[in-house]
Amino acid sequence: MKRVSWLVLLVAVAAGVAWLAPAAVSQPKVVKIGDLGSKVGVFEGYGKYQTWGIQMAVEELNAKGGVLGHKVEIISEDDETKPAPAVRKAEKLILQDDVKLIVGAVSSGATMAVMDVTKKHRTIHWNSVSCAEFMRTTKFHKYYFSNQPDSRMQANGLAKYIVDKMGKKVYIFYTDYAMGQSDGRQFKTAFEKLGGEVVGVAGAPLDTKDFSPWFGAINASGADVLFLAFAGTDSLRLMTQLHSFGMTKKYRLAGIDCFLLQQDLASIAEPMEGFVQLNHFSAYNPDAAMQAFNQKFKKKFGVDANIAAGAYDAVLFWAAAVEKAKSFDPDKVAEAHEGMCVDGTHIGRQCIRKDDHQVVMDMHLYQVKDGKNLPIARIAGSDTIGEAMVGKDPVAGFTWELKKKN
Amino acid sequence: MSRVLTWRALLTLAALAALPAVPGLPRYYLLLAFDALLFGAIAMSLDLLMGYTGLVSFGHAAFYGLGAYATAILMERGVLSLWACLGFSVLVVGAYALVVSYFATARRGIYFALLTLIFAEVVYTFFRYTQTFGGSDGIQGLPDAELWRGVPIDTPERKYYLVLAYLALAYATCRVVVTSHFGRVLVAIRENEDRARFLGYSVQRYKMAVCLISALLTGLAGAIYPIRSAFATPDLMVWTESGEFIISVMIGGLGTLVGPIIGGVFFTILRDKVSSYVDWYFIVIGVVLIVIVLFMPKGLLGFRRLLGFKQWRATA
Repeated sequence: MKRVSWLVLLVAVAAGVAWLAPAAVSQPKVVKIGDLGSKVGVFEGYGKYQTWGIQMAVEELNAKGGVLGHKVEIISEDDETKPAPAVRKAEKLILQDDVKLIVGAVSSGATMAVMDVTKKHRTIHWNSVSCAEFMRTTKFHKYYFSNQPDSRMQANGLAKYIVDKMGKKVYIFYTDYAMGQSDGRQFKTAFEKLGGEVVGVAGAPLDTKDFSPWFGAINASGADVLFLAFAGTDSLRLMTQLHSFGMTKKYRLAGIDCFLLQQDLASIAEPMEGFVQLNHFSAYNPDAAMQAFNQKFKKKFGVDANIAAGAYDAVLFWAAAVEKAKSFDPDKVAEAHEGMCVDGTHIGRQCIRKDDHQVVMDMHLYQVKDGKNLPIARIAGSDTIGEAMVGKDPVAGFTWELKKKN
Repeated sequence: MSRVLTWRALLTLAALAALPAVPGLPRYYLLLAFDALLFGAIAMSLDLLMGYTGLVSFGHAAFYGLGAYATAILMERGVLSLWACLGFSVLVVGAYALVVSYFATARRGIYFALLTLIFAEVVYTFFRYTQTFGGSDGIQGLPDAELWRGVPIDTPERKYYLVLAYLALAYATCRVVVTSHFGRVLVAIRENEDRARFLGYSVQRYKMAVCLISALLTGLAGAIYPIRSAFATPDLMVWTESGEFIISVMIGGLGTLVGPIIGGVFFTILRDKVSSYVDWYFIVIGVVLIVIVLFMPKGLLGFRRLLGFKQWRATA
């Protein structure tokens, strides 16, 4: 019996050595990057597509020889859409896995918490989904970059169209956490500045199952337009319930960039009919760069691209900055990012504004027709980005108080 | 050795203190160890209630979160002294625990559990919707706390030693409690509350006292959490957090003190490792927990019986 045990141990050791040996002989130089996002829950879709966007970019980079001669390797982690796990996983990616770049998180609350980690541990951090207004203002740090239009940019783009084409009385209904509050605040500010009237505001908790308790107040408000700042499965449930209460016919509807993924539209095409959404990608946009990107994405994953385009671009920006800096040193790479332009993004050439590290991205307004996001207007990034407000409070003087008009 | 500090406890503490000296250990593991030991210490505090007094609290996340917010509020306003943060947390958590324990201990069994849960949900909702404390985002971006002026608690090593010191203090406190006459009365209450009352003990006072001790230890754990993470958010107070504390006690072994520490450490490391490999990791964790509950009803520490150790659970 003893002999058998020793034999088993010997075989196990030999197998272990054999497993490790080839790695020791021909180990290519590797640089790791972190993909931090929601893998389950209300924002699962965004996390999944973020991962796919990163994968596509990394495969293209590796096919061309990697970055600075290093093969790029992705390590994906689930942030559970909460700050505490997001921080823990960001620390793991940086301190254990030694990643040189973190892309994420998906939820704004988690992204802001992760910003403290990337600042402390001097790690390049790209955000391609979250949109709270604090990230390029009060939370800003030199290693942080974003190609996601934040709430201020989205509000600037949407408010004018709504005032001009949809109606002057708006009810703002938002998901009551960082992203929704931020979108609601910035939209209210922009809309009132243009002469519109906000006739009501309400926030529903993240992952609300039943929205009907808020419908009475909406119906009593006398609004022409419902501005909806929700995302993920919250949006799906909300639209289904609004439709069953006849409210998708009663009001004109508009929403934020990440309200729904293209993939989800087909399942609620009827409730979403006519919905106006500001977005930075649609598979139905005839823009040549977008079509080229979509074809690549669809060939690889079998579905249309979406907000994942941002994660793809983020990796390209980082790779270009590393090549420019000729180093993975975070300070040098951060400096190389500033003011940099990259040509091969999903919408062609894009540049990073030096002052607040925000990509100046052209966006489109889309209207849903038969389950498709069709472009109705192009909005120049320079018109929406607004002044750089690093260190300034973007909500100074803001109040949710309604300013009634006669 | 004394009843409080045994050789085994001191040896374990010494071994844990040597962890940062392990060659090649990624610094992340010190932060993971921080989380694991903190979680274990909270589970041990809860064990005073669950294991020794027979009271199941579904509201410990509120003590934890309140402690965290107390620290975060001070640090956000530039008060970086660790001692000020701990003192303020004791005041805040103590005041809240006094109210909760007064009402909850007036009831037994499921009613005690429900009252702790309801109070905790009220606290959670208050912080979740109060913009003064950051609403759902909580208070983020906190600076490093200071042990004393000019000595910041800024590295994973320093943070690790902070949690280790806290664990030692919490363990010593719990040992004093359970080995004292007071502790034996708690066990008597667990075994037969009516008989304890007939013997002349003021059962509610004993229950309130142990609730306060447990809450304060949990609040202190909360107080040092923002020093490690730089934030406090309402998520720390969600009822599922209380559920995880309870699970850790069950995994480790009720009424053992050391068992819940092991349970908390096991749960934290399991969650961390499994979630890096599997998206639906909580299913895996759930299966592991079911296996433990079904086949190790006395928890991980219950293995000691198989190895011939003496009775593992405190008796009156």
